[in-house]
Amino acid sequence: MDLIAFNKLKRAKAKHTPEVSKQTGFPSPATHYLEHTIDLHEHLIKNTDATFFVRIDGDGLSGFNIHNNDVLIIDRSLTPKENGLVLAVEEGEFKVKRFSKRPSEPYTIWGIITYIIHAVS
Amino acid sequence: MIALVDCNSFYASCEQVFRPDLWNKPVVVLSNNDGCIIAANKQAKALTHIPLYEPVFKIKKVLGENGITCFSSNYTLYGDMSQRVINILRTFSPLVEVYSIDESFLDLSGVCHTTSYTDYGQEIKNTVFKHTGLPVGVGIAPTKVLAKLANRIAKKKTSETDQVYVIDSEEKRIEALKSTAIKDVWGIGRKHAKRLNAVGVVTAYHFTQLPLHWVRKQMTVVGERLWNELQGDPCIDFMTEPKPKKNIGTAKSFGKRLENISLIEEACSYYIAEVAEVLRSQKSCATYVQVFLHTNYHSKTDKQYSNSITSTLAIPTNNTFILITEAKKALHAIYKPGFRYKKVGVCLSGIVPEQYVQGNLFESQNRYNDARLVDTIDRLNSKFGKSKVMSGSIGTRIKEWELIKEERSARYTTQWHEILTIKT
Repeated sequence: MDLIAFNKLKRAKAKHTPEVSKQTGFPSPATHYLEHTIDLHEHLIKNTDATFFVRIDGDGLSGFNIHNNDVLIIDRSLTPKENGLVLAVEEGEFKVKRFSKRPSEPYTIWGIITYIIHAVS
Repeated sequence: MIALVDCNSFYASCEQVFRPDLWNKPVVVLSNNDGCIIAANKQAKALTHIPLYEPVFKIKKVLGENGITCFSSNYTLYGDMSQRVINILRTFSPLVEVYSIDESFLDLSGVCHTTSYTDYGQEIKNTVFKHTGLPVGVGIAPTKVLAKLANRIAKKKTSETDQVYVIDSEEKRIEALKSTAIKDVWGIGRKHAKRLNAVGVVTAYHFTQLPLHWVRKQMTVVGERLWNELQGDPCIDFMTEPKPKKNIGTAKSFGKRLENISLIEEACSYYIAEVAEVLRSQKSCATYVQVFLHTNYHSKTDKQYSNSITSTLAIPTNNTFILITEAKKALHAIYKPGFRYKKVGVCLSGIVPEQYVQGNLFESQNRYNDARLVDTIDRLNSKFGKSKVMSGSIGTRIKEWELIKEERSARYTTQWHEILTIKT
């Protein structure tokens, strides 16, 4: 066997210095004041598992300040309050009603309306 | 004590929540290709003169005449409603085992200090109904098998139990055992029921009177566990983590018969994308890809052909694109022109956890490692809806092979443009 070449294997240079941030300049004065941006879901929905969305098609509810294409947030877990808006079921149909402890006709409460989302543009 | 909570005619109930016009009316839910009925509510089951389990095309007319409303299955809705129920159940016990889409076991040890089990069961039932609109039954007993039994009783004797039944004394246990046929005990299959009937075991009570060594010999350790559970000794553990699946597959009939391989290929790719997504969601990889293809067995005029092939992957993966490539190769190997195909199916098996995937000397690991693309696709699809971003292999002709879902209700809870709409 002929010896062709004889080389010393070089060991790779070990890097022990940590990466240094390239950022220079004045550090952000907000660093210790950062908070999360407001998330509407968090504020408008208290109980996700009991919350449903319902869209209104038509102008029949303007008396309740609910208009065509509005979206209602319905929380089923809440207890209705006197005069509060509820989504009710009467004779197999959905109806929006103001809750009263002594209703003139019996109905089933499907859920409590907590917010009305109305698009303006 | 252990509670078994299960939803009453779950699929039909999910549909009814959003359709008050159908409350107390017969409702059925159809299988994936609207071929047969897979779920019927109490009112539909009460119409015993209707053969509910015949193919739908045969009974469609009778269903209509009897005022039965049919829904195509809407698994998106059922899955979301199921998750809501599970979340609510978790507020009643720190240990919940999700047994199926509509059944969960709750460990009640240490959670009922101030109320009776019956009251707690009622509270569970009432809360689930109030929050979701879904009716449930609750069985409470010292073991899982007895809890199942209690749940059966709760549902059978609704007027006495009001959907909640507790086995909390020796008398009640014996009474429950005596009133339950052995074939209705959880875990007793048709075969065992037959064999047990042959030796004079008709009720669950008879079964508990058998000597344990006989049970062990005839029905192995599974039977022994059942025997103990029925005696009131818990020996089936809680499984809080879902069992990793051994294989994941899907196969659906085409909307119409297909001859051309290019459409079959697109359907096959679509199914692969579906199962690969499941694989990724449980953080595992598949080793084998099986593809099968067949014509319509029931047709008297069509030439018949069916075949199946399994291919082994060089390295287990959950990457949709690699799996599609393999599945297409496999499909080409079994496809024969000149037949009218009814169904293509795929099944992934040899499932291993993602972190234990072994490399292969002859394959570079890199392309397998690039999970970022599929992860991005998963994120987009979970945000914008199923199959919004797909592999090009799936094509754009889904309507030409997709199965028919004529009667599917809206995805009321997961799609903004499909939420419940009320006309005023």
